[in-house]
Amino acid sequence: MNVRLATANTKVLIGVLIAAAVIVAIVAVVRLDTTGKRGSGLGKEFVYDVGDLAKIDPNLILYKESTPAIDTGFTKTQAIAVDSEGSIYAAGDKAIRKFAESGNLLGETRLAGMPRCLTVAGDGQVYVGFKEHLEIYDAQGKRLATWQRLGDDAVLTSIAVSKNDVFVADAGNRIVHHFDTTGKLINRIGARDMDRNIPGFVIPSPYFDLAVGRDGLLRVSDPGRHRIEAYTFDGDLEFSWGGFSAGIEGFCGCCNPVNFAILADENFVTCEKGLIRVKIADPDGAFVGVVAGPEQFVEGGASRVSEYGPGAQAGAFDVAVDTSGRIFVLDTHKGVVRIFTRKKGE
Amino acid sequence: MSGNKNDIDRRHFLRNGLWGACLAGLGAAAGALSRKSSAENTVWQIDPEICVACGNCATYCVLEESAVKCVHAYAMCGYCRICFGFSGPEPYDINEAAENQLCPTGAIKRTFVEDPYYEYTIDESLCMGCGKCVKGCNTFGNGSLFLQVRHDRCLNCNECSIAAACPSGAFKRVPADEPYLLKRVDSVRNNTAGCKPLRSRRFSNGVDIA
Repeated sequence: MNVRLATANTKVLIGVLIAAAVIVAIVAVVRLDTTGKRGSGLGKEFVYDVGDLAKIDPNLILYKESTPAIDTGFTKTQAIAVDSEGSIYAAGDKAIRKFAESGNLLGETRLAGMPRCLTVAGDGQVYVGFKEHLEIYDAQGKRLATWQRLGDDAVLTSIAVSKNDVFVADAGNRIVHHFDTTGKLINRIGARDMDRNIPGFVIPSPYFDLAVGRDGLLRVSDPGRHRIEAYTFDGDLEFSWGGFSAGIEGFCGCCNPVNFAILADENFVTCEKGLIRVKIADPDGAFVGVVAGPEQFVEGGASRVSEYGPGAQAGAFDVAVDTSGRIFVLDTHKGVVRIFTRKKGE
Repeated sequence: MSGNKNDIDRRHFLRNGLWGACLAGLGAAAGALSRKSSAENTVWQIDPEICVACGNCATYCVLEESAVKCVHAYAMCGYCRICFGFSGPEPYDINEAAENQLCPTGAIKRTFVEDPYYEYTIDESLCMGCGKCVKGCNTFGNGSLFLQVRHDRCLNCNECSIAAACPSGAFKRVPADEPYLLKRVDSVRNNTAGCKPLRSRRFSNGVDIA
């Protein structure tokens, strides 16, 4: 009897052990994550999150997207400009495309290389910047001139034309070239010269914009110092404004603003990369309001280099304005031009 | 039946069978050798252009301390005073104080070079490959910080557990004689899409980094 009982107990014990082993195995298999879908399991101190910074108080947003975006049709877009008649020029994919306000394609000029920047002068001539040189086209797309190469280190990023003066931002050499309209070099602006109290531009990445203000001063972005500087055409630094801040009133990131434009009322439209923010500042640099924030441009708020495919870095958006105060933003991620108008009563 | 010349006798059957088995064995051995040789000539590496710095590299490696570390392409770096791979998005101040550092293990060293430039170096003994700095640098900077499998540590497992857990498929086999997939200035400079490096920085104090 005792032997039978002992045998039975042993069988029960073995059964319980087997059952426990099976349960442990099932739990282990269920909990096993060979695909990484459950994440790294690292604590919050290892998480890089700028989601809160991407949120902008809706009361600060003064503009609304007024019309459907214009699809440039480019796979890589680089720059935009608006002429005095309101036509929109987009540069990308070895071409310049001209669009009507409605978004209809008006024409295309094929180019030998990838354009990096462009502007439309008051007389309708289109100045196109390539990596190392400028070309000038008439309104029909006929090439009028090719200017001298500015050296292997040159990386041209912006052009401004003011009557007889042409300014070209060269991010590679961290300098502004000042030409006349025939292409003759007049001077170079912004080189480090402590005798003239000019610290030199800090350009960590090839975003280096400029524009001529209605006050006759050349405005140049100095992204490494998070500011916009004002120069005379002779190259004297008059003043600057701007500073680093993750807050909405300042320029965030290592190097911003990347692009800017000057409205007819002399306010500035600035554009930042990383947390893509398009904002308005008054002529003295005081924060006025927001055109559009990161959540309106990029899902999740912050653009990340690695999320736009192999080789694609987080493109900075170009901005342009027209005489009626509309703001054009070139969304380089989607290859479209987005048009913003000021909300009524704002 | 036995008189039919087309019939196969037992001896022939065994001989042919043995020959077939030998040939099959030889083929299998050659295939296995070839596969082993091929595996020995390749190693695991992360494609930095595909990596999303998810953090899985820090925890999925079979080694207690991951074989993946952050590396720095100095020629791409902007040497910024405010580096978002070094500082958090909202630093209290712009300096090396612990509370202003992004890296949870303090693996990035910031050294003054010349106003307003700073050099950033990775202390690999402290880096655990979480990729937090990579995200900061990629989001706001030039993307000069990126993750790589360090082959002085990697065991080159046949089935890499990090590769299996990589959400972006950034792990790939690369030739053992070219085991690193480094970011290069020229390839990025020619990409006109966005933020990219310019050229080597030459500082007046003699630092010259290509």
